[in-house]
Amino acid sequence: MKRIRAIGHNDLRLFLKNKSAYIWLFAVPLAFVYFMGFANRGPGDPYNRRPPVLVENHDPGFLGRIFLDELDTQGMWLLHPTNHETTARTIRIPTNFTSRVLGGEQSKVGFFQRDGSAEADAALIEVRLVRALIAMNSHLLEAATQTNAPATITEAQLRAVRLKPDPVSLQATFAGRKPVPSGFNFSLPGNLVMYLMMNLMIFGGASVAAERRNGVIRRLLVHPVTKFELILGKIYGLMLLGAVQILFFLAVGKFALGVNLGANLPAVTLTLLVLGWVGSSLGVLIGSLFAAEDRVTGTCVLTSLLMGALGGCWWPLEIAPPAFQTMALCLPTGWALKALHQLISFGSGFGAVLVPLAVLLGFGTAANLLAARYFRS
Amino acid sequence: MGLLRVEGLFKAFAAIRAVDSVSFEVRPGEIYGLLGPNGAGKTTTISMISGLLEPDAGEVIVDGTPFGSDPQKAKRIMGVVPQELAIYEELTGRENLEFWGRMAGLSSGDAKARASEVLAALTLTERAKDAVKTYSGGMKRRINLGCALLHRPKLLLLDEPTVGIDPQARLNILEFIRGLRATGTAILYTTHYLEEAESLCRRVGIIDHGKLLAEGTLKELQERLGGDRLFVLEADLKDISPDSWAGFHQRFRVIQKTERQLVVSAIGSRDPSDCLKDLLGLPVQVENVTLKRPSLNDVFLQLTGRDLRE
Repeated sequence: MKRIRAIGHNDLRLFLKNKSAYIWLFAVPLAFVYFMGFANRGPGDPYNRRPPVLVENHDPGFLGRIFLDELDTQGMWLLHPTNHETTARTIRIPTNFTSRVLGGEQSKVGFFQRDGSAEADAALIEVRLVRALIAMNSHLLEAATQTNAPATITEAQLRAVRLKPDPVSLQATFAGRKPVPSGFNFSLPGNLVMYLMMNLMIFGGASVAAERRNGVIRRLLVHPVTKFELILGKIYGLMLLGAVQILFFLAVGKFALGVNLGANLPAVTLTLLVLGWVGSSLGVLIGSLFAAEDRVTGTCVLTSLLMGALGGCWWPLEIAPPAFQTMALCLPTGWALKALHQLISFGSGFGAVLVPLAVLLGFGTAANLLAARYFRS
Repeated sequence: MGLLRVEGLFKAFAAIRAVDSVSFEVRPGEIYGLLGPNGAGKTTTISMISGLLEPDAGEVIVDGTPFGSDPQKAKRIMGVVPQELAIYEELTGRENLEFWGRMAGLSSGDAKARASEVLAALTLTERAKDAVKTYSGGMKRRINLGCALLHRPKLLLLDEPTVGIDPQARLNILEFIRGLRATGTAILYTTHYLEEAESLCRRVGIIDHGKLLAEGTLKELQERLGGDRLFVLEADLKDISPDSWAGFHQRFRVIQKTERQLVVSAIGSRDPSDCLKDLLGLPVQVENVTLKRPSLNDVFLQLTGRDLRE
């Protein structure tokens, strides 16, 4: 055990002395997390989609402003009128909105959409618009009841009514098919899984191949170190490196990107560490199978990219064809992401990831045994 | 009794007999040289002694215990310096020593303390905090050697430890190894440099094509050639065979014959001046006759018919 620790700590020191390692461990994955999170951003979390809508408020009175707040409360993603040319949907608040409503006359808020805009999003906006109008009417009714003179309702009065908690509320959640992870909730686990695998495989494979080439492995084996201790030491060192990367990305995700790791942080960390074990064992295995370092590196890059793409690191598997979803179940990346999305995006507890963890442990055991079988000095 | 005994060691790779029934022993406080050209089987022999290769036949006995019965015990006793620079070039000299000390079984504290001692002994203290990749070739060789010394091994296996370094650095390393012998360490030293074997080793085994052709002290090996001097006769010997000279083979042993040179040793304890008279009386136009002390190269020449430097 003492020698396993010494080999692992020495390997970690070697990895961290390599300045280019920091680029692949931190800079590149972080750039991809940001880029893919930005590209895949939804206007909200998967439980509460916020399709964008342009609002033209022609009303100079305070009811127009309050109605905008009400739309925001109802989950609208409000665009400024400068986006007029690009938007697919528009809500128009008429010029005399405040005066007509306070005068007891009906005022119509318009909702327009261009041909070809998403029907589902339009329907969602329409529902929320109706809810906003109902809420507005109810707040006006309550304020009018307080004053007995609807025409004298002030902005402060109406805002005070809005701030009061609703006596009745509706809590709705998804049923049946799961929502699609988006934004940083998708890109952080996806890129962390792919780069964790890639880095541990490359660092593991290349270091084993290099140490075999320069005779370090043979020298280790003339010491009172068994082959199994040597392999475990190598894997332990790689897992320490993986832990550094995991720690960094979970901290960045939580504090800089606002990813809600919630109460499941221990389960998220455990899932990633088990995946790290799989990646480390695969790295040692590939380093043992191929002699030349460039072949080892090439194989590790190709394998990890394929596992990343097919495992759902590049796009949500929920939108992939069924064949891809089945293929992901053959890969450790697929199971790791399955567990991470359960924990991060869908807020599931530890129980929901027991099966993925068991499968990952199976991958790790198999890779570890194969690495031990093919390890050579 | 030998700290290391090798008995009938045999290893073949397909049809090639890399090591063929090699036997020798190394005693405490002795440097035993295994001398032979590249590809003679020296590294294969060391690999089998250190447990990297499984012998096809034969036995390695370390400190009275067969290696195979307790490899870990044998490995704790020995230190191995490989021919290649098997060190971490990105780490400092001190970090390398401490790591290999840990691998040899030292605690972290002991490894640190011993690293300081070894750095001082190798005169590398001033460069201890520099990465090994910034060292000169000789300094790298010294660290490579030092990494095997942290646990004070009773048996040290050195596989051509001075390959590829300048003469001064080589002298420093040889001097250091002499110092190790003085502490009672048993040292197996493989080399293809004659001068190293002659100046460093108490006993030498000459190996070629996997076979140990001869072994003994330098004096014992010289005596195989018939004494402590050789005669070198220079003449036009192109179409001449010593077999045609009457009684020549009763008086001289031919070590080497080329078209221009005949190297012989005298048989029996004859006076050198009588030998010179005999040689000058040969039926050839002698251009020059010189006397020299036999070297290990002459022994190798006599055993294999080849020059070790070829």
